[in-house]
Amino acid sequence: MSLYVLEGLRPWVIQRVSAVYMLLFTLYVAWCLLGADTTVSYASWKGWLFAPFNTTAVGLFVIAVLFHAWIGIRDVVLDYVHNIMLRIFILGMLIGILLGSGLWVFRLLLLSVVA
Amino acid sequence: MYNNMNNNIKNHRPVYLNLLKIRLPLPGMVSLAHRVSGVGLFVSLPFIVYLLDLSVSSQNGFQQVQRILHQPVVVILEILILWAFAHHFFAGIRFLLIDADIGVEKTDSRTGAWLVIGAEVITVLAIVLYGVL
Repeated sequence: MSLYVLEGLRPWVIQRVSAVYMLLFTLYVAWCLLGADTTVSYASWKGWLFAPFNTTAVGLFVIAVLFHAWIGIRDVVLDYVHNIMLRIFILGMLIGILLGSGLWVFRLLLLSVVA
Repeated sequence: MYNNMNNNIKNHRPVYLNLLKIRLPLPGMVSLAHRVSGVGLFVSLPFIVYLLDLSVSSQNGFQQVQRILHQPVVVILEILILWAFAHHFFAGIRFLLIDADIGVEKTDSRTGAWLVIGAEVITVLAIVLYGVL
């Protein structure tokens, strides 16, 4: 079963560490929203997202989501899909969706640094 | 008589697991909903990333996102995603506490499950009624 890369206690720990980070991040975003104006403009939205601290926090959040979502969805697939080829196919599709989404966010976060 | 009873018991035994006939206790429901909400959040991920990219692409893109988010069908999806997030958030905290040996006993576990449902309902209602969406 080395096919699934993350085995044993490690995914269990990653799932919880990423959960705690996402919990703190959610509280931080909620705190920012409570302090924000009721109408968010393009400028203020970009100003928030591309402030160095927030860009970093969102980047770490993306990494946390990728690990957390991968371990979570992998466990669901392993529970319900028993055919080995179908498993590999579905898991491959799902990791493609995850990595694609993650790289997309990194692209837009980094473009703000370049521009 | 004995034989008859034995047959009776045998007849009422389920020969397969009918999931619709199993009444899951509340903590079980919360656990199942944690999984369902997790899958739902996974599905919503690419769409959220798309909207995030569009929102920072240009002034025009930002306004386009605002228009998309105000469409009635999308608002319903937003509320569903918000609900899934709120459930996953609070049920996740409960599972972390259970890992730390808090709320494991049967009565505590039920209390915890009720707290999760209460917290998620209040959060969703507060955000929807506050008019953030």
